[in-house]
Amino acid sequence: MKTNKKIILLIIFLLSISGLSSACQPPSETSSTLNYGLTLAPSGIDLHLNASAELGIPLSSVYDTLVFLDPANGEFVPGLAERWEISSDGLSYTFHLRKDVHFHDGTPFDAQAVQENIEYTLNPENHSQKAATMLGPLNQMEILDEFTIVLVLDEPFAPLLDSLSQVYLGMASPKALKQWGPSEYQFHQVGTGPYRFIEYIPNDHITLERNPDYAWGPAIYSNPKASIERIFFYFYEDAASRALALERREVDVMGEIPPHEADRLASSADFSLSPVAIPGQPLQYFVNTTVEPTDDLRVRQALLLAIDKESIVRTIFGSHSPISNGPLSQAGFRMISAPPPSSHNPGEARQLLDTAGWILEGQDTHRKRDGVPLSIKLIAPDWGSNSEVAQLMKVGWENIGVNVELIIAPGFGALKEIQSSGDYHVIGINFFGTDPDLLRSFYASDAFYNWTGYSDAEIDQLLNEAARTTHVPVHRMELYSQIVRAITDNALVLPIRDYVNLVVTHQRVEGLKFSAQGWFPNLIDVQLSSP
Amino acid sequence: MVSKSHRRTALLAVIRRLLEGVGTAWAAVTLAFFALRFASGDPVASLLSQGLASPEQADEIRISLGLNAPLWLQYLRFLTNLLHGDLGSSLYTHRSVSQIILEQFPSTAVLAVSGLIAAILLGLILGITAAWFGKRASGMIAATIAALATSIPVAFAGILSLLIAGCLLQGPGSANGMLIRLILPAMVLGFASSGPIARVIHSGLSESLRSPFILAARARGIRRGFRLLWHALKPSLPPVISLTALEAAFLFTGTVVTETVFSRPGLGRLLVKSILDGDFPIALGLVALAAIFYTISHVFADLLTLVIDPRLRRAE
Amino acid sequence: MRFGFIKTLCVLWLAAIVLLALSAPFITSADPYTPVSDMLQSPSYHPPLGTDALGRDFFARTAYGARLSLSIPLLSTLLTVLIGTTFSLTAITAGRLSDRIILTIANAALAIPGLLLAMLLVAGFGPRLSTIVLAVGLGGIPGFIRLSRSIFLGIKEMGYIDAAYALGASRTRVAIAHMLPNAAPQLFSLATTHFAWAFMGTTTLTFLGLSGDPSFPEWGAMLNSGRMHLIQAPWLTIVPGILISLTILAVHYLGENYADN
Repeated sequence: MKTNKKIILLIIFLLSISGLSSACQPPSETSSTLNYGLTLAPSGIDLHLNASAELGIPLSSVYDTLVFLDPANGEFVPGLAERWEISSDGLSYTFHLRKDVHFHDGTPFDAQAVQENIEYTLNPENHSQKAATMLGPLNQMEILDEFTIVLVLDEPFAPLLDSLSQVYLGMASPKALKQWGPSEYQFHQVGTGPYRFIEYIPNDHITLERNPDYAWGPAIYSNPKASIERIFFYFYEDAASRALALERREVDVMGEIPPHEADRLASSADFSLSPVAIPGQPLQYFVNTTVEPTDDLRVRQALLLAIDKESIVRTIFGSHSPISNGPLSQAGFRMISAPPPSSHNPGEARQLLDTAGWILEGQDTHRKRDGVPLSIKLIAPDWGSNSEVAQLMKVGWENIGVNVELIIAPGFGALKEIQSSGDYHVIGINFFGTDPDLLRSFYASDAFYNWTGYSDAEIDQLLNEAARTTHVPVHRMELYSQIVRAITDNALVLPIRDYVNLVVTHQRVEGLKFSAQGWFPNLIDVQLSSP
Repeated sequence: MVSKSHRRTALLAVIRRLLEGVGTAWAAVTLAFFALRFASGDPVASLLSQGLASPEQADEIRISLGLNAPLWLQYLRFLTNLLHGDLGSSLYTHRSVSQIILEQFPSTAVLAVSGLIAAILLGLILGITAAWFGKRASGMIAATIAALATSIPVAFAGILSLLIAGCLLQGPGSANGMLIRLILPAMVLGFASSGPIARVIHSGLSESLRSPFILAARARGIRRGFRLLWHALKPSLPPVISLTALEAAFLFTGTVVTETVFSRPGLGRLLVKSILDGDFPIALGLVALAAIFYTISHVFADLLTLVIDPRLRRAE
Repeated sequence: MRFGFIKTLCVLWLAAIVLLALSAPFITSADPYTPVSDMLQSPSYHPPLGTDALGRDFFARTAYGARLSLSIPLLSTLLTVLIGTTFSLTAITAGRLSDRIILTIANAALAIPGLLLAMLLVAGFGPRLSTIVLAVGLGGIPGFIRLSRSIFLGIKEMGYIDAAYALGASRTRVAIAHMLPNAAPQLFSLATTHFAWAFMGTTTLTFLGLSGDPSFPEWGAMLNSGRMHLIQAPWLTIVPGILISLTILAVHYLGENYADN
């Protein structure tokens, strides 16, 4: 009796072990599989509807866009659209589409598909968080023939081509959109790109498979077809775990590696480091101009002078980040004149504060004016290296006699709640992008992200005019140069460093290049050297 | 043959415990509802402030979320929906909360169950060694390890294990991946939870080894060995079983931290994220489920104790 | 004699930690907030424990960290003990109805793990050190009520309480003058064990990043920020980890064995 029981138990034990091991699929390492590490675990991955940039990493290979932005020269090249014309009044964009494209589910790509994609994006019931805003004053669409479509705007909108080059407006199969609907489509995405979307298990992984029919890649792709058969994406939300994952060979590539870990990995022969500059806004902190004491320009200037950017960048980012001096990164915006570098001058900062009436008396560590201490509430988001940067900023400010209360907001929701309450002096946030119209969402008087509270009719007018200047790029960039000057003169923002994505790749990965937006790898060009 | 009156008393006790359990579960879920309401504030204001809804849509959203009704009515609706298994939809992605939870459940369940098994095994080994070998070196070592198990924070244990594993497991191979992803976190979780179990076994077994009935067994000729161990162990098992059920509470904290340290997907991280993001429906659903789960495990523990209580058995 | 030896060790360790906390400004001239040198320097003669990722003197951070790491659980334990004892004493002395009510509420609250309750409170009040004191304090109350209530129940079942009532003492007087003093040793042991729980809970919350300002030196938060450089600078996590573990170990041991006397 007892022996039988033991045997039964043993059998059960063995079965469960084998069951367990087969249930957990370890990442396989064949010459035809790539394992890629992502960072954010997002709440949704339908790029028409969700705002996360991270998901463009897999999805930019699942979708093609009408046009593509060439990272080499900043020009737009044909994508799904062979050619296009813009009317002289900037209100009509006529796209002539390629005729040889079909979606992963076999349905043909045509003007009708473009229209349905845009309608899906603009449908208010779908609650598009980002893509809808990128279309600006788009009013109607006209299908001229099977492969020609006209987009009609209410007013000229210069960023439109840039928007259409972004993966958020990639073209999806209308049949799949209709079949699955806005909640479920993200699990069954169908595009035209060099990779097919196979599955998405939330918080676990995304699987892509090569599209053998792909024959319509833009000129910026080196390879006509993808060479890697399968790509798995895994999530590593916790920054501390990313380097370890690379070393354990769980993944072959991953971005957003903390700087010191990236250096350590790169010093070994197994890994190489590709720093990628990401165009857009730098890691920056907005200053609230509507509350005391930061409503005073001198106080804002003092805060800026007291930050030792060089030391901060060197300590936290090593050699990997250019110091930023303006509201836009140097990468991607060469035509806009950058402000002169600000110096680290605590002495001058102290003088400014003295002039503004904030005095250090006797044994005080913090300045006072009429008995009121000089207190700053510094709100930093919890992503990137904001926490470390903010801690060092606090040190610099305490050094000139400012009392700093530092709060790390856990998540965007918390950050926005604090901002909405108005209870802050300095708050950090930045977005990325390749079109300078990005500034309008932050510095126009009524902009949603105008967290400085600064309202200036002239800046508004310049921003609007620049958004409408579709046909004369040189003039447009000159307008932005003026805007940047105004922002800097009024010390509305404290820029720290230009964002550089530290991507570490295992040596078996070759040919990895990134799109103009910086984040997204051209997976079609990646090859694996034989192990 | 258990007498009828004994059976009836036992049955009554069981029914009473079950009813108490339902009452506690209800009270806990209610507490969760109001506590979360307080914690996350007005969901619509949250949406508005994040730009995920325009002011014009605010009223519609308010109505669709049922926020225009008085609080007690919202609470009743929440209860009825809960009984039907409907936990509402995420504030941000509009996906069904039950769906989201179901997706994350397997990962946490696997971790929690393997952690629990590891805790029981480790607790048994440590407790038995400590009691059996008493004053010898192995016994003292086992006792010290058990004490460490209760004192080392789960986070630190996890980090240490990563450090050790990282040093030992250099080199390519995806088998390492699975080791790190499942076995290591389970072991860490198990280690951290094994302390109370080890302690209960240690004290229970020590006492029972000195008890008259063990001396009697030895007199009857059962030599020192596994059979003696088994006889001595039996009386100390009931508290272990109920303790195991109560470990459910510790497992919660453990899974949140373990999932963070080892970057595992799961309900623990989902919960922290949803609380901090202000995604009220998800947070409420998880907290309510957690409360119900704990109540069930407490009731289960009590019922088990009732069942295996030797005093009932000896009525035979 | 062996047990006495271990107990002495525990007391010595705790005394050392408290001493570290109190004497921090005297034993190190460095300031835990300001970078002094290059980051991630290994322990050497100076600075004694090297520097952390931002170049701050790690020994200074550890020493000052003792202050926060000890005071937060201490304050929250005080909160828990005061409120919890009030409730459980009322439950036992104020009649069956209040006992029922208090017990039911405590049991219901216990179905939600203390840490979860604490997280909810942090979410509601915002992430700050003061919130953590409140959250850990309030989160531990249901458990404390249950356990202290059974202590008081045990005392009540002894004869002299009934004798006090028979002599005409009011309920309040009985509670304060009779039950409390008799329960004091057991309550103290319970409070000590609870302090260990509060310490663990505090470090967990700060580890999860809920402390608001990571520049404040606190061992749990340091455990978390050290993780980023685990391989390069393992002492950044090991030192706070060991300190936390040994402190909890010592408190646990003392608390358990105190009641045995």
